[in-house]
Amino acid sequence: MAVEQLDIHLVLMMPEILVAIMAMALLLLSAWTHKGGAGVIHWLTMMTIVAVVLVIQVGSGTATTFGGQFITDDFSRYVKVVMCLGMVLPVLMSADYIRGHGMDGGEYHVVTMFAMLGGMIMASSGGFLILYLGLELMSLSLYVLAAWRRDDRCSSEAGLKYFVLGSVASGLLLYGISMVYGVTGGTGFAEVASFLGKPEGHGSQLLALGVVMILAGMGFKIAAVPFHMWAPDVYQGAPTPVTAFMSVVPKVAAIAALFRILFDVFPTYHVQWVPILQLFAVLSMAVGAFGGLVQTNIKRLLAYSSIGHVGYMLIGLVANSQAGAQGVLVYITIYLFMTVGVFGLIIAFDRQGLGENISDYQGLARKQPVMAFVMAMFMFSMAGIPPLAGFIGKFSIFMAAVKGGFIPLAVVGVLFSAVGAFYYIRVVKVMYFDQPEGEFKVTLSGGGFIVVSLSLFMIFFWGILPGDLLAWTGASVQAFH
Amino acid sequence: MMVADVIFYLFATVTVLSALGVVGARNPVHSVLFLVLAFFSTAGLFVLMGAEFLAAILVMVYMGAVAILFLFVVMMLDVDFSMLRRESVRYLPMGFVVGAVMLAELGLMMAHHPGEGLHLGLDNTDNTLAIGQALYTRFLYPFEVASLILLVALIGAVALTHRERKRVHRQDISTQLARTKEDAVELRKVASGEGA
Amino acid sequence: MSLNHYLVLGAILFTIGIFGIFLNRRNVIIIMMSIELILLAVNINFVAFSRFMGNVDGQIITFFVMTVAAAEAAIGLAILVAFFRNRATIDVEEIDSMKG
Repeated sequence: MAVEQLDIHLVLMMPEILVAIMAMALLLLSAWTHKGGAGVIHWLTMMTIVAVVLVIQVGSGTATTFGGQFITDDFSRYVKVVMCLGMVLPVLMSADYIRGHGMDGGEYHVVTMFAMLGGMIMASSGGFLILYLGLELMSLSLYVLAAWRRDDRCSSEAGLKYFVLGSVASGLLLYGISMVYGVTGGTGFAEVASFLGKPEGHGSQLLALGVVMILAGMGFKIAAVPFHMWAPDVYQGAPTPVTAFMSVVPKVAAIAALFRILFDVFPTYHVQWVPILQLFAVLSMAVGAFGGLVQTNIKRLLAYSSIGHVGYMLIGLVANSQAGAQGVLVYITIYLFMTVGVFGLIIAFDRQGLGENISDYQGLARKQPVMAFVMAMFMFSMAGIPPLAGFIGKFSIFMAAVKGGFIPLAVVGVLFSAVGAFYYIRVVKVMYFDQPEGEFKVTLSGGGFIVVSLSLFMIFFWGILPGDLLAWTGASVQAFH
Repeated sequence: MMVADVIFYLFATVTVLSALGVVGARNPVHSVLFLVLAFFSTAGLFVLMGAEFLAAILVMVYMGAVAILFLFVVMMLDVDFSMLRRESVRYLPMGFVVGAVMLAELGLMMAHHPGEGLHLGLDNTDNTLAIGQALYTRFLYPFEVASLILLVALIGAVALTHRERKRVHRQDISTQLARTKEDAVELRKVASGEGA
Repeated sequence: MSLNHYLVLGAILFTIGIFGIFLNRRNVIIIMMSIELILLAVNINFVAFSRFMGNVDGQIITFFVMTVAAAEAAIGLAILVAFFRNRATIDVEEIDSMKG
């Protein structure tokens, strides 16, 4: 038979190739140096990610390779930079956490890099098969990372729960993909979309079922209600740097993939997916707002907080417009800095042997006013109080919803963000108005200081001058519609 | 009904019944055996559909590796070893049943190998060739990503379960090679007649 | 044999898999085997679609699903072993040291 002309342009995939090669090189390095090379690997990991960000900047325009299975465009490049930040900042702030909890040895960084690589593959995926493989590369790495403190009961429990529920979600996703394949005869996004453009591509029950199952599978990965039940336990049990990583990178990757699926492949099925996502959004905001009220553990609180944030991001998807897509990118970018900043502080508390209970922070303001102030700013930003950046994120999402005619949804969103503000402010109240019980000597590590101050600067800067952020995200979503 | 229909219903029934056995069995070892049976019957169905390559992979990877892994973990975790030794006779009947059904299915497959559906690939190539040609051309990128997934599984499994054991003597080749006659051999004069 | 026969078989296996997860809430290993059943159902779907559309893509996907399933089983069992060393139980109902 004639050999098909292969369309392979590896230059387009340089960021992914760089991550893969460096991850494997660091794996060999860690095998050769045993524990001794952990410090070097730590720095090499961060330098790799910085290099990847630079390589991502080199690309421009929209291009595909491997028969359309790999897409690079402004949107995927923006999302990949966010993922790189979501990886490198937790690594930077957690050097001594990793050493202190016996997680060093280099492989931790290697697996983290593979998780990010999976996310990058998802963001650039041009077909359901490669989307699934990227998702599995990311998820399998995350299951391992969640259980990384293998001598800790909570950590291995978190890994097990994450694994079981995540695998069921992958099964649902695959079943959905099989329906789509069965109806359209292809799995590439372009193939499926062109089939759906034809008259016979309309109104297939099997396909609608497939779309619903794909949404359910992806909903698990972003912890949208009703598929959120793993999130609180996993957030609490996983090592804190892993929690910081998994509250940003997988969500960004899955939402980027959802954009491609919904906007590029199933625009004609929006009658099916818009109500489902609307339901996900409302339920997520509700659970995020009310579930957080009764929490005593700060990581659990942040799990509910992230469920709520996912609900707001889904509003941007529901809006089904360029403005909505832009809103989601703005929200994700700001969410990244708020989340990483808070986890940086939690790691600093952990350095002092303080627990993860909110009551451990009682009276922090009396003893360490700067720390308490920084924490309070992150909490206010998460609650969406102006002039901090969290407000800009919520504002752009709600504006997109209003423009798209989803006014009730926007109103519900505003109401839930008011309810959710309660528990963020409760943390502030505990720090400022309760009596301190012991001594605090919370100090940030060098890397932690850089991360927390950068995050603090960003939430003030973008809260007051969001122009650049809006311009970048606006340029990145030109490809849609 | 045609022969192929009979075979389909037979294999499908065995698959469904053994799947019910997997989730319903009280004993986890029985569950694993039922899982093996379900995989094997599905492999038969794959042959019926002309996907022999996948049928072979299913038997080799799932029954040869995944199911054995499950069995290994079930036996390692659930029951302690002395109990297992004593009770292994109890699994014998179940094992015989599973083995007999598999043997019967195998014979059926051999006897009525359906000729239709084998030429699924592009220009009348056989199934394995068609898959190979697609796998190493159009699906090269997923293929590479799959290799990374396997690498992560490898790293993850080792990182989570490997323990440095103290008091285990290991070969250290560089130390062995670095030994010289001077620090390894000590020559002593032993006075004759004084040794024990 | 029509496509529908295979799809119904796939749907039954899928349902049994989901059912098994809820039925065996006490035993993680059975839950993992139920997940394998779900993936088996998916594979039957893909191969059947592939056969009846005369296009080999579905079989390729099945190939990848099997690869991933093997990796998934290895990781899941490794996590289970790590968990068991800490707890000496695989009973899911005992997996509740975190509450909220």
